[in-house]
Order: sequence, then C-alpha cells, then structure tokens
Amino acid sequence: MTADDVDDVGTYPDYIVINKPVNQRPLRGDVVRYVGAPIAAVAATDRYAAEDAVEALAATLEIDELSPVMTVEQATSDEAPLLYPEWGDNKVVDLVGDRPEVRAALDAAPHRFTETYVVQRQTPLPMETRGVVAEYRDGRLSVWVSHQSPHIARTTYAMLLGLREADVRVVCPRVGGGFGGKTHVYSEEIVVAHLAMKLGRPVRWIEDRAEHLVASVHARDQRHVVDVGYDDEGHIHAMRCHVICDVGSGEVFMAGTCPSLVSGGVMTGSYDFPNLEVSTTCVVTNKTPAGAYRGFGAPEGVFVMERVIERVARLVGKDPNDVRAPMILQQSQMPYTMPGGGRIDSGSHQQTFERVIELGTEALQRVQARFEDDPKVRVGVGYTNYVEPCVPTYFATTGHWAGYDAATIRIEPDGGATVAVGVAEIGQGMVVTTRMLAADALGMNLDDVAVVMGDTDRAPYGLGAWGSRGAVVMAGSVVKAAEVVLDKARVIAAHKLEAAAADVVLEDGAFTVRGSPGGTAVTWAEVATAGVIRTIELPKGLEGGLDAAATYEPYALEHFPDESGRIHAAATWSNAAHAAVVAVDLRSGHISIEEYFVVHDCGTIIHPNVVEGQIVGGVAQGIAGAMYENLPYDPETGQPQFASFMEYLVPTMSEIPPVQTEHFESPAPEMPLGIKGVGEAGTIGPPAAITNAVCFALADYHLDITETPVTPMTIRAAIRGSKDRT
Amino acid sequence: MTSDTTAENRRVPIRLRVNGSTESAAVPPRLLLSDFLREGLGLTGTHVGCEHGVCGACTVLIDGTAARSCLTLAVQADEADITTIEGLAEPDGTLSTVQQAFADHFSLQCGFCTAGFLMSIAGELEQGMTEPEIRELLSGNLCRCTGYQSIVEAAVELAGTREA
Amino acid sequence: MKPAVFDYVRPSSVQDAVSALASDPDAKVIAGGQSLVPLMNFRLASPTLLVDISRLDELDFIEVRDDKLCIGAGVRQREAERSVVAARSCALVAAALRWVGHPQIRNRGTVCGSLAHGDPSSELPAVAVATDAEFIVRNRTGERVIAARDFYLAPFWTALEEGDLLTEVRLPVDTPGIQSSVREYARRSGDFAIAGVAIRGTSGDGTPRASVGAFGVASAPVRMTATERLIESGDYSQSALDDAIATDVPSPTSDGQADGTYRLELLGELVILALADCGGRR
Repeated sequence: MTADDVDDVGTYPDYIVINKPVNQRPLRGDVVRYVGAPIAAVAATDRYAAEDAVEALAATLEIDELSPVMTVEQATSDEAPLLYPEWGDNKVVDLVGDRPEVRAALDAAPHRFTETYVVQRQTPLPMETRGVVAEYRDGRLSVWVSHQSPHIARTTYAMLLGLREADVRVVCPRVGGGFGGKTHVYSEEIVVAHLAMKLGRPVRWIEDRAEHLVASVHARDQRHVVDVGYDDEGHIHAMRCHVICDVGSGEVFMAGTCPSLVSGGVMTGSYDFPNLEVSTTCVVTNKTPAGAYRGFGAPEGVFVMERVIERVARLVGKDPNDVRAPMILQQSQMPYTMPGGGRIDSGSHQQTFERVIELGTEALQRVQARFEDDPKVRVGVGYTNYVEPCVPTYFATTGHWAGYDAATIRIEPDGGATVAVGVAEIGQGMVVTTRMLAADALGMNLDDVAVVMGDTDRAPYGLGAWGSRGAVVMAGSVVKAAEVVLDKARVIAAHKLEAAAADVVLEDGAFTVRGSPGGTAVTWAEVATAGVIRTIELPKGLEGGLDAAATYEPYALEHFPDESGRIHAAATWSNAAHAAVVAVDLRSGHISIEEYFVVHDCGTIIHPNVVEGQIVGGVAQGIAGAMYENLPYDPETGQPQFASFMEYLVPTMSEIPPVQTEHFESPAPEMPLGIKGVGEAGTIGPPAAITNAVCFALADYHLDITETPVTPMTIRAAIRGSKDRT
Repeated sequence: MTSDTTAENRRVPIRLRVNGSTESAAVPPRLLLSDFLREGLGLTGTHVGCEHGVCGACTVLIDGTAARSCLTLAVQADEADITTIEGLAEPDGTLSTVQQAFADHFSLQCGFCTAGFLMSIAGELEQGMTEPEIRELLSGNLCRCTGYQSIVEAAVELAGTREA
Repeated sequence: MKPAVFDYVRPSSVQDAVSALASDPDAKVIAGGQSLVPLMNFRLASPTLLVDISRLDELDFIEVRDDKLCIGAGVRQREAERSVVAARSCALVAAALRWVGHPQIRNRGTVCGSLAHGDPSSELPAVAVATDAEFIVRNRTGERVIAARDFYLAPFWTALEEGDLLTEVRLPVDTPGIQSSVREYARRSGDFAIAGVAIRGTSGDGTPRASVGAFGVASAPVRMTATERLIESGDYSQSALDDAIATDVPSPTSDGQADGTYRLELLGELVILALADCGGRR
C-alpha cells in the first residue's frame, strides 16, 4: 500500500493557528522529508515475510535525492532549500517577543554577556515500542494500540477514516511506557486500521526498535541565544532569550512546537525574575519530527537559566547559591505570576532550596573525603531549582483539545464500585492511584473498587496520560462523581435507618446515624442492592440507580494567550530542588554521579511509592539527557548516525546512581485535595544540576559548559584546552 | 531435513522443554526463539525490546542460564530446557521469591522490562553478591521507568546482602 | 528486524561442517550467535546457509597442550571465564572475558566466535594479538595455523577465507611471575570499548617486560610494539609514552562515540593503569 492507496483517507488537520500547515498524509507520496517517514506498507502473514517484501520493494524504489536541511543554521540561511515551498521560509513557528522594559533594563545593566546554549536531540524511548492491532467487523473498527490518549486517538481515527466515532473502539491495554512519545496519533495507526478495513481481517504492526528510533517522535533539540544584564553584586537585571527549536519535518500530529513555548514560559521557575523577554522560533529540517517528551521543554529552559546563573556567579566571584538566594520565591509572593503568564499557585521554593543545599554540602564533604587520596579525581556539587507545570491546557499543544477529564462511578448491586476514568495507565501507577482515591472518596475498601481506563467503549471521554495532570483531573472528576452517588446513597440509607439524610454518615464502609456509635448500621451492599435491584425499598419518589458522571477542569486554566502573549497555561505548579555530587576522573574524563538528591513538593501525596517511582525514574531520564543520549545526523546526507542501542546510549543500572528524595507538601489551593503533578518533575533537574556540578569540579580548568550531553570527551577537551592556554 | 525444498520453505523439526512441558514443532531456520515462544507457543510474557541483544527484555533461561531469546535461533534451542517468565511462579499462581521481591519493592512501573530482569536474576544472581556486583550483573537489562533503584533494592534483598 | 531466509545444518563432525561450508560461498558458521544474529536481524548480514557447530563435542575443550592453552570453538565465553584451567594457564583470558558484553551474552557467545568475528573494539582479539596466539583453521582441504598478528586485516575482516572454520585458539601459557590486566573504557557497562588494553607483563627483579594489545582504537586490534619497547627500557616519561602510543596507533578511530585524540589519551591512561595492575610502576 502506497500513498495512492490512501487517497480516500483524510489529511491530518493543522489545528494550531500559529503553526504553518504541514498537511500531513498517512503515507508520503512525492516528497519524503526524513529517514523514517512512512512511504509504503506491506501486509503479509508474518513479520518475516513482510520484511522480505519491504527489502524487495526498497530495491525497486526510484528516488531523486534532494539537498537536505539538517541544522538550524541551514534552515534559516537565505539559500536554504524549503521543506514547504509555500511557506516562503523554514519557520513553522516564529514568535517575536517585544518587552521594551526588558530591553531598557538590559541597556541599563552594568554588565552584559551573550551566549548560546544547546540541548541535544533525544527520544522518549519507552521500552515497549509502538504497536497497533486493528480489526474491522460488523461495521465497527476496533483498534488496540499502545497509546497515551485513547479517546484522542479514536477521534482522530474516526475523522481520517471517515467513520462515526461511535463505530470506533480504541483499547490501550497495559501500555509499556510512553513518556510523551505515545501522545501522538501516528500515520502507522491510520494505515494499519485502513488496511484492516480493506482486507477485512485483523492487521497487526509491532514497531521494531530500528523503526522506533527514526519513526517515533524525537524531542528537545533546542538552542537558546541569551543576552543577559547583571551587576557586580551578581544581581541579574534582565534577560532576553531566543528559543530556537529544530522540530524535524513537522509531520506529526499533534505538532512538536509547543515544548519550545514551555521552555521560555517556565525557565525562570523558582525565581522571582520579572525582566525576561522570550522569542520563539521553530524551524523544520529533514529529521524525524520532534514531539512530546517528559519535561516538555522545561529541562531545556531550566538548563539555560541555571547555566546563566552560574556564569554570572563566576563573573562576579560569588557562590552561585548566593546569586540564587535573593531571587528564590517566597511564600509571601504566592501566587506569583511568571513573565510568561504562568501563575505559580503555591510552593516551598525557599525551603526546598535551603534543604537541598544542606544535603549537597554534607554530601560534597563525604565525597571529597572519599577521593582525597586521588589527585586525578575532582569532586563537585551542582544545584538547580525549578517548577513543574502541572495540569496544562492541551489547546496550546493540539489547537483542538483543552483541559478537562472525566469519571463515571457505578455502584454495583453488591456494594462495590466500577470507576471509569478518561485518564490512562502507561505504567505510572494511575490505576492504583485511582483505586486508592476512589475508595477513599466512596468510603469503600480498595478491593471493592474496580477501575476502568484505556477503553473508549467503557471509559468516559477524556484526554489520557500527559502533562503531569492525571492525578489532579482524575481526582477532580472522581470526587465530584463520588459526591453525587454518596448523596443518593445517604438518602437511601437514611430511609432504611429512619433518619434524616443530613444525619447519616459513612464510616468504615457502613452508613450510620451521626452521634449514635454502635447503633444500627446499613452497609454499602444493602444500600446498593436497594438502589439498583430492590428498588421497591427506595423512598417514594426516588428513582433507582446509583451512578454518576462528572467532568473536571481547573477553572483558572487559560487556553488563549492575552494580547501580550502571556498565558496561565498550567493549573498548578510543583516545585523541587536538586543537588548532584559528581566525581570527575581527569584521566578518562569519566563523570561519576556519587550522590543525587531531590527535595520535592508536589502538594498532597496520594501514594508515596508512586510518587517516589515517578521522581527517581524521571531523574534517570534526566541523567540520560545530561550525559548519554543523543541523535546526531550526517549534515551532508541527512542520514541518522544512530541505528541501534549501540549508539543511542540509554543508561543502565551501572550509570544511574541511587537517588535520595525528601518531600515538602504545599497543597495546591485550587486543586482537588491539594494535589499537584509529579510525572515530569524528576526529568527537569539533572541536566542543570549535573552540568553545574561538573563545572564546579573542574573550576581549575575554567570549564563553562553550554551544551548537553556532557561527555568524557567534553571533559578531556576542556582539560586539553586549558593546558593549551597555559 | 529434506534437501529438495528451497531454503525459503525449509522447516526444521525441533523438540524442547519449555517450562517443564515438552514441545515439538517444525520451524523455519530463521525463526528467533523469542518469536517461537511468543507466536508459536503464545508465551507472550517474554517481551521483545530491541532484537539486537542490548535491552534484555527477552531474557529467558536456556538450560538454566540467562540468555537473549532474540539472539537465539529456535533451531538452536532444539533439545534445550527453556524457562520463561510464565514458568517462574508456582503452578497455583504463588509468586516466586524473585517476583515477590519485585512486588514488595515496587520494582516495576510499566512492566515491559520486568520479565527480563526477573529471568536474569533467576538465572544469574548469586547469594552474597554485593550491590556493585548486582549492578554489573543487571546492566544487561534496560529499564526506562524506575531509575533502577527499586530493582536494585529487590535484588540486594534476594542476594541476602541487604545492609542493616 | 528479522533475518532473511537461510538454510541451516547442524553437522555431526568437523569434517561434515567444513564440507557444508564448502558447499555454499555465502555460508556462515554459527556457534553462540551473539555477534552474528544481531547483524542478521538488521539484515546487515544475510548468509544463505548457517552451519551450526555449537554441539560438536570435538570442539568442546579447554586444555593445556605443549605450553599452550587450547580453547575449542565450542567453548562458551562463560565457561572459559570460569575455567580453572584457563585461569591458571592464561589469566588474560578471564581478565578479558569479564568485560565482554553481559553475563547473559557470555552464556551463549563463544571464545572463538568473538575471535573470528573480528570486531576491532572487542577484547579477545587484542588478547590474541598480545599473547601471540595461534588460530587453528580447518577447511575441506586441510588444516593450517594462522598467527594472531596475521589474522586481523580490517574491521570484521580476518584471514579466514570461504570454507574456513576456526576450530581452536592456542594461547601461550603464562610463565612464572607473569601478571595480566585488561582495562577498558566504555560509556556504559558492557558496551564495546572506546579504548582498551590487554597487558601481560612481568616486573619482578629483572627487566620489565610486557606484551600489549590494544582494542577499540584502530581498525583492527593493535600489538603495541613501540610501547612494549619503551616499557622494557624501564624508565620513561609521560611524553615518551604518548609518543610510543602514537607510533603504535598512527590512525586512531574517530567516530560518533569519540574522536581519535580522545581515544589515544584514553589509551595512554589505560596502559598506565594496566601496567600498575601488573605490578609495574605507578
């Protein structure tokens, strides 16, 4: 099946108004813009035969090679070939910041420097690649897919395939990790479903790792050009930052442009830093499309901010933490509106900052003692502070969906509950978190609550797993639905107890009359049986049934920027401080992370193990970005210089250190139960903390790292450079 | 084996034990053991994460030692004794000690890599191994979710070297 | 990532194996398959016939004969790593094997398979080169012996020709007082080395002597003769060592992992560490 065979399939919509349209087709026809773009699909009776056919097909392809555009410089040069000639340039997004007060502050600052910071290309890389099974039977399309947003997938499949949404079922069972990469609705899903409809039999495609590395989204790939004004005291007066993101070919739904907006929006994080002007440009190149990846722009922005702070500290001869301290947000400043419009609702920014310095200082001494006999090893500590935007609007990312989610609760006749939610389980613990929260909200035992998610036939329409939002929007909708069923249950119980509903309380799984301990109790099972089966026992006028549906969206969330481009795009903000203590071996340039600390605040914690797992796992991915993973391309040919796990260096157990966590709990004032998000938090800090630590360790060599990943080669080159200078 | 068929249609008879049951099949020479287990026997607990021997998700025991099923041809497993994740728990569903340790320490999130870790530990972990030895042993298994910490904790407990 | 079609035979003798190899110019030997199968899964290798030698009893031996440690082509890396005979007679083999891949790989992979594969960044070829090992090669017309220094021609290209089967490697045994060390550096545990060194040396009372093989730094394993001469001179400066290494490795590998300059710096540090392991100075 080639491009001609999908003529009857729709083109992906270009919903985002600030983005130029890419008109993505499920299979590419005339122009192929990156290695990994789907151009043909082969169906066979097994994968072995299909690969034989692909190999034979590839040998017959006639290809005219075009000159590729592989870098930001190439993409923005005047002579650049255009990926989309109708645009007139290679900029899919180009937003120019204009804050005269920031420029004035810059001009007035005693000192200035400019620098370019670079964060490399990565890929989310769930251990489970993508996979799709589609079956079209009796006029209904069923798609089992490894995806983070089952309903969004369904809407997109229905739209492109011309089906009624009710005739499409999407099931996402036990997704093997996503990390953002599986929020996108990919061409392969459409093609497999289309094939199943044409062939009249089930079709399966399991992405292999070689496909995954070029065909699933990449991410990051940003450079930030900053202009910083500061004074001799280390006070940073103002900063202009131009965020330039290489989003690859752009042919992905939803687009990969939003992370770069987040980078500028959250980079000042835990700091009171009003004088920031951000411009954002996203260029298209002949690389795999960039998309969502855990952290979603925050790690890049925070890396830049923290490197700027360290630079200023070095220039004025101060401890970097003394530059940070006057800027750190105070409780009294809450809520604090950042330059980009994000309103930090609450947090423990100063406490986490101070605590992590205590931990880092003690650890530094320990590690220095450990290596004091080895003159070839240098030890350093590095810090970072940041905020994590939680429960964001999806409108900036999709141009279509927004911020809500949904729950239905059905009390079963035996007194148990079926709780179905629109968020999704991708390994982050959402099922167990939902069960725990729902059981608590319904006054039931954990075992009495069945949780349903990831099936569009059974769960209410919701937006899935992304944006550090699941716990909040799940809780919001579950609590609302639980209140409805509890209200009715109390009426039923009151009738049985011959009391007023207002006097009925639910404790230990039984309804009793308030203030009568040891008195008559009615169990959930009795109430449920009356409510659903023995409706003859209901009070007159009360109808049967014990279920409820509710949706929830934080009311303050904004979906459109104001006229100055500011937007409160995330409903609540977790905060954290990290400290990394590293030992750098001057011989090999090897960086060993000896100790790593996260002092974290995600508001009310529901399930401590889930939170711990998210933070520690997130830190591991942050370390991967700081030191290991990269996706370079040959600038001449456009060929990826990575083909396997031999080149894409996912860290192993030997590279990831133990991570110690501590928690503050500043409840989110406007969120249900005070909950904030935690899914992306850990990933944000390591690039900044580790780079800062390495530069601390190698202060003698005047190392000022501006680019990740930081590798042994970086270290050795710096040592060589330093020798050359002396 | 007969010599009058083309290589494409060649099937090689194999007979092996998988989780204690004897299995016989005629397989194409190129069939990977991972695919034989998953597709041929329906034992989909063995996951396939890279098919070039780096991620370790497909680890099974071949004659008692841990090995990559994606780098082993099914024909090479003829006469072998294979244990997959499905063979780890007791027949009544009681978790093995390795599995129980993972449950106790929250050593899995998405679970995709878990079977490979469990099989590596089941085949190769020795009592008294230190934490650095354990880390080296399990570096042939990639996990993207946990940051490994909870897996190390489970393995250290299993090796009996947990610090007080 | 599935192999292309191939035929498969599992001969019952070395004689049958070499006959099978002679029957098809695109035949390949498979033993553990840990290097070959990944290439086949990527379809970077598409042999039309695999000759499986993993069950030939006549190739399953680790023994000392005529002052040489002889390892048959059926011996898996994990067996050799744990072999008391190997440890006592050629400590460099076990020292190298613990760096090879991961235990799950070594359980299947064979010593001779790795040697015949000829990956320039793998450990065992450097061990062979450093110890002046001999490769016993059979084909349908007979048997010949190839010296390790003549065996490695280019990346993944050895002196083995069509129809050849590496049946055995013979490594000269350790003499009294000998110390062995393998040092390497890779970004991740178990990865192929960016640079590595295998040293067998004596310090003791007399003249220090060392046999040095390097891997990961060039298109084939390197016998570092200039470095050896420098070590035997007994007294050398850092710059002299740098010069010797540059002489031994005139065209260091430069790739996405590391540039040549870094590789040589790394090699220098690894040589110093390995010499220290062998009781040398520093």
